Amino acid sequence: MQVRDVTVTGAALTPFNRRKDGTGFRDWALSAFEMALERSGLEHSDIDALYVASESDFFHLQLNPASVLATELGLTGVAATRCEGGGASGQVAVHTAARAIQAGAAKHVAVIGIDPSASSLSGDAVRTLYGFSFDAWTDGMTGLTSTALYALSFQAFAAEHGGTEADLASVTLQNRSNACHNPGAHLPRRDSPQDIADSPAIASPYRRLHCSPLSDGAAAIILSRTDATPRGRAGAARIAGMGAATDHMHLGARADPGFFTAKQMAMQRACAEAGATPAEIGLAELYDAYAGTQLQAIAALGLSEDVSRDLNDGVFAPAGRCAINLSGGLMGQGAPVGATGVGQTATCALLLEGRYHPALQPDTLPRYALADTHGGVCTLSAVTILERAERAA
Amino acid sequence: MISHHLGLDYALNPGWMAPYVAGLSAGKARARRCQSCAATSFPPLRVCTCGCLEGDWTDLPGTAQVLFRTTGLDGDFGLVHFDGANTKTTLRLQAIPATETRGIIAASGDNLPVLRLTALAEERDG
Ligand SMILES: [Zn+2]
Repeated sequence: MQVRDVTVTGAALTPFNRRKDGTGFRDWALSAFEMALERSGLEHSDIDALYVASESDFFHLQLNPASVLATELGLTGVAATRCEGGGASGQVAVHTAARAIQAGAAKHVAVIGIDPSASSLSGDAVRTLYGFSFDAWTDGMTGLTSTALYALSFQAFAAEHGGTEADLASVTLQNRSNACHNPGAHLPRRDSPQDIADSPAIASPYRRLHCSPLSDGAAAIILSRTDATPRGRAGAARIAGMGAATDHMHLGARADPGFFTAKQMAMQRACAEAGATPAEIGLAELYDAYAGTQLQAIAALGLSEDVSRDLNDGVFAPAGRCAINLSGGLMGQGAPVGATGVGQTATCALLLEGRYHPALQPDTLPRYALADTHGGVCTLSAVTILERAERAA
Repeated sequence: MISHHLGLDYALNPGWMAPYVAGLSAGKARARRCQSCAATSFPPLRVCTCGCLEGDWTDLPGTAQVLFRTTGLDGDFGLVHFDGANTKTTLRLQAIPATETRGIIAASGDNLPVLRLTALAEERDG
């Protein structure tokens, strides 16, 4: 089978926040889609298929959302598929859509990620539901929260690979500081280490400020067969490689409960497909559900041999060798679950094109950027490597 | 903004895990021992890491070592190792002092099958 090359011809995100303006997920989906479509230079009639990422019907109380959005976006008639993989739903949708183009089944597709994770249910209700995104019979019914599971996983990581309270503070301050330059971010904050230490302990070592928020929002990308890229879009980034993998659903059944093995496997698969190495990644949007999760991700993705040292040396800062979460990440930009992975890929595409928020846009563009998303405590990992176009920058 | 309450009463069947769930209700750590390599998993694994699908149910002593614990507004939880098991597990810690690193499984009764560890009686008394 001939594998077609895939280009991100359009990308857009709505603001991520807690909506208080009476709008709903259909409004956000339309807004992100229209922006992405306009940037792609394509028309509604060019779109062959729609892929919708949404983690749970519990959030929006709309079963079969892909068919509903096909109508709402003015795409009635297209093939429509809903993609779900917990927190990784958005990246799973990106992969599914890109594979359809690679296989020759579609020329132009729309990928929309949505979730009203903040405004439709109480925070306690969402936390209870999230507990069922691990093994519902062992962890969910026991009342284990997402924060507690991530806290235990980070403790195991720190015991084996290192990671201090100062490192957690450093990640927290950096991501939120980046968010201050992102007009669409949910938590643009300038806290001090003392503010973090004074915030309530949720599940030690995690305090409230170490956690990503629940957000509302949508993100959209338009993927095109590279040889069908519209005129004027030659500078658009291409998808160089994708990889996905799973780990054991029980933290306690993993040989090293602190190491994100699925992420390592997904990254190896993506690198093999891209013909790239982790050292060549110059920008990365990582899945920082919690501050320590970012350290665990850096280690598993192979972006550093010594995470604490490189963190303190500024390697992951905006001007560093591999700037991480320029958007603010989940901790700073926010986390409307289904939109997260699509938004990370959209952010990488905009950065590689030099079209990101001016205050965050690097002067020198690397060849590769990485979008890293996972569900569970990295039970399902999906990563995408994007490559800058020859003519960009 | 429309307020809407949705109540859902589920009837969930544990399927092959029924002995494990019944064990929790009675306060027994019911594990699964692989017929091929004898590896013992708790909570039970349907398919052993060696690939074997056949296993037998066996009751562990119910005591466990706490390897990591987390505390805060969400409650007390741990990553523990049950004596006699080859796997570890996450669970709820109930009234186990921060200085204590061992505990015993507590019965969940007829409520949700909650896996939790409580203080050992002899250590509590002595
Ligand atoms: Zn076996």
